[in-house]
Amino acid sequence: MDDQHDADCGCQEYNELSRRQFLATSAGVSAAALFPAWLPKIVMSKNYSSTRDIIVSVFQRGGADGLSLCAPFADANYYTSRSTIAIPRPDSTAATKGINLDGFFMFPQAMAGGAAGTGGLIPAFKATDLLIVHATGQLNNSRSHFDAQRYMEVGKPVDPSLVTGWLGRHLASIPPLKPDAPLRGIGVASGLQKTLVGAPRTLPIADPTNYTIGGLTTTQPQRVAFLQGDYAGADEPLHSAALDATNTVSLLKSVNFSGYVPANGAVYPTSSFGRALRSVAVLIKNDAGIEAAQVDIGGWDTHSAEDPIAGSMFRTMQDFSNSLAAFYADVIATGYSVTLVSVSEFGRNVRENGSQGTDHGRGAVMFAMGKGIAGGRVLTKNWPGLAREVLADGQDLQVTVDYRDILAEIVQQRLGNPNLDFVFPTWKPTMLGVTR
Amino acid sequence: MRITTGAKAQHPKVDSSAEQATEVEGVTTERRSRRSFVFFGALAAATMIPKASRAQAPSRKRRVIEKDPVDVSPAIVPSESVAAFAEWDSPISRLVRRATLGITNAEVARANQLGWQGYVNYQLNYTRINDAAVEAFVAQKYPLLSQTSDLLFSAAAGDIRNQLIESTIYRAAFSQRQLYHRMVEFWSDHFNQDIDKVGYLLVADQRDVIRKNALGRFPDLLKASAHSASMMAYLDQSASRNTAPNQNYAREIMELHTLGVDGGYTQTDVAELSRVLTGWTIQGRGNFVFNPAIHDWGSKTVLGVTIPAGSPSLGQDGIKEGEQMLDVLVNHPSTARFIATKMLRWLLTPDPTPTQISTIASVYRATGGDIKAMIRAILNDSWLPAAPMKLKRPFHFLASALRSTTPTVATLSAMNQQLSVLGHPIFSWDTPDGFPDKIEYWAGNIVPRWAFGTTMSNQNSATSIVVDTTAYRAGSPDAAVDLIDQNFFGGEMPLVTRTGLLTYIKAGTFTDPRVRETIALAISANAFQWY
Repeated sequence: MDDQHDADCGCQEYNELSRRQFLATSAGVSAAALFPAWLPKIVMSKNYSSTRDIIVSVFQRGGADGLSLCAPFADANYYTSRSTIAIPRPDSTAATKGINLDGFFMFPQAMAGGAAGTGGLIPAFKATDLLIVHATGQLNNSRSHFDAQRYMEVGKPVDPSLVTGWLGRHLASIPPLKPDAPLRGIGVASGLQKTLVGAPRTLPIADPTNYTIGGLTTTQPQRVAFLQGDYAGADEPLHSAALDATNTVSLLKSVNFSGYVPANGAVYPTSSFGRALRSVAVLIKNDAGIEAAQVDIGGWDTHSAEDPIAGSMFRTMQDFSNSLAAFYADVIATGYSVTLVSVSEFGRNVRENGSQGTDHGRGAVMFAMGKGIAGGRVLTKNWPGLAREVLADGQDLQVTVDYRDILAEIVQQRLGNPNLDFVFPTWKPTMLGVTR
Repeated sequence: MRITTGAKAQHPKVDSSAEQATEVEGVTTERRSRRSFVFFGALAAATMIPKASRAQAPSRKRRVIEKDPVDVSPAIVPSESVAAFAEWDSPISRLVRRATLGITNAEVARANQLGWQGYVNYQLNYTRINDAAVEAFVAQKYPLLSQTSDLLFSAAAGDIRNQLIESTIYRAAFSQRQLYHRMVEFWSDHFNQDIDKVGYLLVADQRDVIRKNALGRFPDLLKASAHSASMMAYLDQSASRNTAPNQNYAREIMELHTLGVDGGYTQTDVAELSRVLTGWTIQGRGNFVFNPAIHDWGSKTVLGVTIPAGSPSLGQDGIKEGEQMLDVLVNHPSTARFIATKMLRWLLTPDPTPTQISTIASVYRATGGDIKAMIRAILNDSWLPAAPMKLKRPFHFLASALRSTTPTVATLSAMNQQLSVLGHPIFSWDTPDGFPDKIEYWAGNIVPRWAFGTTMSNQNSATSIVVDTTAYRAGSPDAAVDLIDQNFFGGEMPLVTRTGLLTYIKAGTFTDPRVRETIALAISANAFQWY
């Protein structure tokens, strides 16, 4: 932990800020647009710092098929609903059979490093550091990718007045881990993901390994000085972006990405998702002050030729699980205080469509990984089953766990932020024992 | 000047105490620029800012940066409404910035000569603008664009992709039909398709759907899109059949192409429309076809319109069910509002007023979705001069840099690459909503823009791109900055940028590298990011 930071904290244990003061300090006048008037007041406290995890938030964009990611082989309706794309039972003789997790659910081989079932996410699961939450998602029924992603990222359904993301509000309502960190949050993307909107000192950086303004080294300081002067009077959000960018250029220049050797022989896939997690790992280990990273992985919108055995869904799941597995071995297993959590905007129909794919559904799965996560199990709440009569709208796995219950417990217990009603407005979370 | 967040010296107890909050509030007040005041005035600033601060000189006071708080949370504000620079005081130049992919002296002169309405009409009647030189270049360099899907089937995928991207950059930068290409960009996002999924089929979609109808009638555009093999492939319509309809296209045509997500349809409408559209598919190497054998002939009800059961004996007439529904969609009041709102956001303001939306929606209804008539109503000389600025997306930014540097081009492969680096690889946005047009999405990705300035200004290869700096070096450093003002800022370069560039160019010897660096800084400057 940062000693200087703790030493600075001669303040009372809880510094209560009125909402109005918070708005003034955080974002000035325009915060009125950023944080609607109904948002509750926040509590700023520093004594959480020493126990806080860094969070890596993953969005599986496109509506990931939870019934392939973690398939309920013991539910007979799974097989009758999916005549061409079901994964064979773990106790079958099929070469492509699944990997038994708990007698009811299984991983497809893509998630378990192959037929032996000893790779992929299995080591994290067996070490009880990986939790799978099933039949989870959003309670509001939107089958639009864009609405569903937006409200999931914002953290409050169907409220157009809220433009900040849940992770953005988390960072905005808690002091930095390192007071002088130039970059607290990073979206590994070309544009800032909605999840992070509202976060202070946070930038989208598609490739942290190559973050430079280029040109002659000798004139770079002068050119940076021009840019700082030119953007000094710029309006938000460009002003903050430029200021954070010039500081971050210096930060990332000092980070040795290319010479990085992951711990435990971890091998990150060369996919964009794998490279993104590798960069995040480097930043975490570099102790640069990063507190939150948002990383996306697409390819989940499997309307046709889904094929979780060998086709497109197989490859996407393999990329997902091998990347997470590398991150687990490299960062989490080596004891860094990091929690990784993944969401997807919705799951997919229980019954496959006529194109060997699945259309937009409801209940999905989430993954949470970390030493502080009570893992090694598939968490369900009154598993509703796949029988037609219990399906939502006659076609979908019901959502039995609001995704905010999972995130809120992590925000409070692992990220040390007590302001749950600020991070997830109007939601009264139920703690399900996600964390240890 | 130096910007620093290292305010520890001033704030040994950097935290969120009330004391500091007060202090910060003072700084915040001082920071209010005229621009953000104007557009957030109604929200909060009105009570906090003295009126005098509105009457600010063109060179706006630099904010006190040293007092930036370190430890409380200076959240980034995703402002969608940023008022124009004080220096942008010529209304007709504002029109040129909106109607083009980069202001140039030639366009300003033309607009001044034609007058406001004359210039809008000149740009709208784009077929009368002679574009022969540009089209000759495109025809010679990018021959695949004119081929049919049957021939493209056997062409190399990489060649098709590069020709499509590079021709699009070339036209956007160098065509005289600037407003037309602004709308080509707009509709390419509205009817977004990912070339990774549809491959060569996209060539025909771009040519026969988007470019053909970009300034036509929306109903024609929508119907052309619905008969595009590329769209059928992209949204899985080609995989839909009576026994198991695929809902992807049926959903997106309502959510993204016509009604909008709040346009008043239900999940049942999606399911029913997907049944109506069964049989709309692709045959051979990429030709749209209606296949009655996989059409669902049962009765359906979509948006309250009932289509009675038919029979396979009707054969090709089964397509009429879908055609009927397309008419329902384009004539729906939600479509008029949705298209009007989106066009207003593209051409006028990120946050159109209800009056503006209903005005343009009524033009849609009165003219049967005439895109030109809607643009004419949007780009009026009362709304536009009062509108906030818009942030150039990277494609627009790159095209405007090409327009300002007026290079000699042998190939645009370097620019093609740069578009990806900038985070805007056109035709590769994988979801059907298209690249965002939101400041909050693009603003943070500023470093690649700065790096691009350096890359662009140093282009000097006859086999690729040559940026000729002779004219900039012909006179004094002051004259060079004046020329930058003319070429990059339409003669309305903000004072802070002028001062910064002069300081920079005079800090070294007046050589070609220094001039190119100064041009790079002009491209990197705050004012060059907006239009």
